[in-house]
Amino acid sequence: MRRLLSFHALLVYAFLYLPILVIVALSFNESRRGVRFTGFTLDWYRALFQDPRVLEYFLNTLTVAFVSTLVSTVLGTLLALGLVRYRFPGKGFLRYLLYIPVVVPDVVMGVSLLLLFAFAREALGFPKLSLLTVILGHITFQVAFVTLVVRSRLLLLDPALEEAARDLGARGFQTFWYVTLPLAWPGVAAGALLALTLSLDDFVVTFFTAGPGATTLPLYIYSSVKLGVSPKVHALSTLIVGLSAFFLALGYALSRRRV
Amino acid sequence: MKRAGILVVLLLLVVVGFLVLRPKEAKAGATLYFLNWADYIPEELLKKFEAETGAKVVLDTFESPEAMLAKLKAGADQEFSLVVAPDYYVLQMAREGLIVPLDKARLPGLKNLDPFFQDPPYDPGLTYSVPYLWGTTGLAYREDLVKGSVDSYAVLFDPAQQVGPFLLLDEMRETIGAALKYLGYSVNTTDPQALEKAKALLIEAKRRSVGFAGGVEALNRILAGDAALALAYSGDVLQARQEDERLRYALPKEGGTLWTDALVVLKRGPAQELAYRFVDFLLQPENAAALSRYTQYATPVAAAVPLLPEEMRQDPTVFPPQEARAKMEYLKDLGPDIALFDRVWTEVKAR
Amino acid sequence: MNEAATPFQRFFRVLVTVGPGGLWLLLFVLLPTLLVLVASFLTRGPYGELSGPLGLHNYARVLEPLYLEAFAQSLLVGALSTLLSALLGYPLAFYIARHPKRDLLLFLLLLPFLTNFLIRVYAWLVLLQREGLLNAFLGAFGLGPYAFYPSFFAVLLTTVYTFLPFFVFPVYASVERLDWQLLEAAYDLGARPVRAFLHAVLPQTYPGLFAGSVLVFIPAMGTFVVADLLGAGRVVLIGNLIQQQFGVTRDWAFGAALGVFLMGFVLLSLYLYARIQGERGLEELV
Repeated sequence: MRRLLSFHALLVYAFLYLPILVIVALSFNESRRGVRFTGFTLDWYRALFQDPRVLEYFLNTLTVAFVSTLVSTVLGTLLALGLVRYRFPGKGFLRYLLYIPVVVPDVVMGVSLLLLFAFAREALGFPKLSLLTVILGHITFQVAFVTLVVRSRLLLLDPALEEAARDLGARGFQTFWYVTLPLAWPGVAAGALLALTLSLDDFVVTFFTAGPGATTLPLYIYSSVKLGVSPKVHALSTLIVGLSAFFLALGYALSRRRV
Repeated sequence: MKRAGILVVLLLLVVVGFLVLRPKEAKAGATLYFLNWADYIPEELLKKFEAETGAKVVLDTFESPEAMLAKLKAGADQEFSLVVAPDYYVLQMAREGLIVPLDKARLPGLKNLDPFFQDPPYDPGLTYSVPYLWGTTGLAYREDLVKGSVDSYAVLFDPAQQVGPFLLLDEMRETIGAALKYLGYSVNTTDPQALEKAKALLIEAKRRSVGFAGGVEALNRILAGDAALALAYSGDVLQARQEDERLRYALPKEGGTLWTDALVVLKRGPAQELAYRFVDFLLQPENAAALSRYTQYATPVAAAVPLLPEEMRQDPTVFPPQEARAKMEYLKDLGPDIALFDRVWTEVKAR
Repeated sequence: MNEAATPFQRFFRVLVTVGPGGLWLLLFVLLPTLLVLVASFLTRGPYGELSGPLGLHNYARVLEPLYLEAFAQSLLVGALSTLLSALLGYPLAFYIARHPKRDLLLFLLLLPFLTNFLIRVYAWLVLLQREGLLNAFLGAFGLGPYAFYPSFFAVLLTTVYTFLPFFVFPVYASVERLDWQLLEAAYDLGARPVRAFLHAVLPQTYPGLFAGSVLVFIPAMGTFVVADLLGAGRVVLIGNLIQQQFGVTRDWAFGAALGVFLMGFVLLSLYLYARIQGERGLEELV
């Protein structure tokens, strides 16, 4: 049984990494458009480092992803906790409201948020379309995903543990910090990771809510996919995967040494 | 406590990152916000303009003109100074109040334009726009994959004359226009019967096709061997041909479409003065020639043509011969009748 | 459940936990959704602007066979993607949760998704196209070439690929919490493995399973990029139609109606699910 499970896992991981291998291979391919491998080259990496715009898009993307993930994880975790632990008027309504960002097609969300921002801009003078509006948009769909994931974890936790902590004299915040949060942590982490990938991938909501100079990688990549992927993008993707793997290995080695 | 530490560090990282990376607010009036198709202007031209004026150019790009227009309409028009739009959008944008007539006194470079482009059909008298580049829409194909000659829309619309697997261009006006042209109508006809016939033709062609694709995307799929031919834009074909010699371009004998991308200054946009200066900058022969060389599209600036390399000037794909040009049509702004096209396209795409 | 808490304390706790997130949802979800709802009753003006008269005409159009067909196709893609994600993801979540190096495995699961979605979709295109890698591989055995793309199969495969982590992460969060003593108890009572699993393990993972299914099924139905690139306009989902109304054919009112129809369908299904299940625990899920 265990061997079967291992084999299955191996297959799924192979499925996940197959396209990544293709991207890595293409990043070293001489041909600009074709899929045929015509020769090995490092030109695309060179071109990438000489293109200040791609770096700027990359930094924009990271800014948006980190800020929005952090805010949405905090909001979503608290919201999940409140929904699971307390009764309050409007709870049922709020629960259904949570599904809207999951179900609403990106383009409807993008246009409606833009209308909202433009309306607020006319009436109140802000927000000006910029990275900030992109972040607001991302948080909006992330919150729903985080809340749903964290809630599925919290539902499994025994409220008695929290009550015990309280009986032992812990105050509200202490209970949350030392009992609830550690128990909920796998759910919080899973929610945050999903929120992060959502932000890194989004281009429709970003397209509609971005102002000048707020171009993110997905916007750039979307036009490259439509206009023929520039192998620079493959080089960049390869670097992202490579660097993440490197930092992972580093962190892993360091944590081992300490133990 | 470890967790608290991680959280604090993360928070600090985010705050610092945000402060450092936040796009810097440039001094008012010193920045031009330019919205253009992706990969449609060489970086050097922007640099040159920045050096000449001391201003900064922030370039943003779009891929679908419809999405661009939707975004501008929904309120983003306050944020951009200058936009490159397809010809048939110019009058529509004017009607929607996004642009107003140009102040031509600020554009001395207009005299450099080819006389034809000083009074084009899509914007009579150049009231609202200045031409940026122009080209044609025709049939792109890979020589080795087609059996038979490619000189007519029949290769798409007549099952008996199909010469290989083909793609339909995912551009409403171009593709419906091609069907209309094949049936002998104008690309701009709004006769419901003609459109009904075009719709039937397209639905039938879609069934035999290998799908829809955008301009360059279609060329990539031809290069990859997924399709043998498709409707495509002239300059894109020239760029792609550098990858694969077997790629060819033909103007259908029924007549193709001629198009111009146009520069428009947004009414509510920032840095209007700078926008005018940039338009005039692009009308200077050496700059127009640089733009044309980079994109492989023809320039409307007559004075720039002699500055282009010989093989580009002689290439019928870039500058079609006069008799081919005579048969070609501009896509016109159709006013409210565009609803008829929209309905046909929705049904073709949904089928 | 906090009998000891005073009403004020209870109010304060709700305010702190639900307040910020709830306010966010009201401001950035409810408000725009109301805008969309209003738009769905309006009419497309001559130039594509929204105008009067108000009416249900957009919804009447949604019910035309042409659009219902796309809707059915979307349901099929959603259902099949969820099923395939479960087949791939559910055992994987167990494998990861029981593995000593589970952090590493989780990270390896996430790593491919740090590259952009569109790039991954594009990589599938490279794999599946006529002169692509899969056909080259099969060609070495004298098979093919097959037209894997554009096709329904290509759309489905790539959709599963795209949303798989959305299934695995929530399930993992449940499995990680699993009480294995129940399984042992079942064995001690003489249950066979399948029965023991069904009664002692599966119910404990319901919350994760539910969250995972919802997070795959719903976005898979509404997505348009995958169908656009790998179906090349031949596989039409409701997301594509909506995109087209806003993007190309400028009928925002009809696009809004399609969107509201989709949202209404999902919310109603969830509501009915909660109603039918009835049991306390499961009702809480929705």
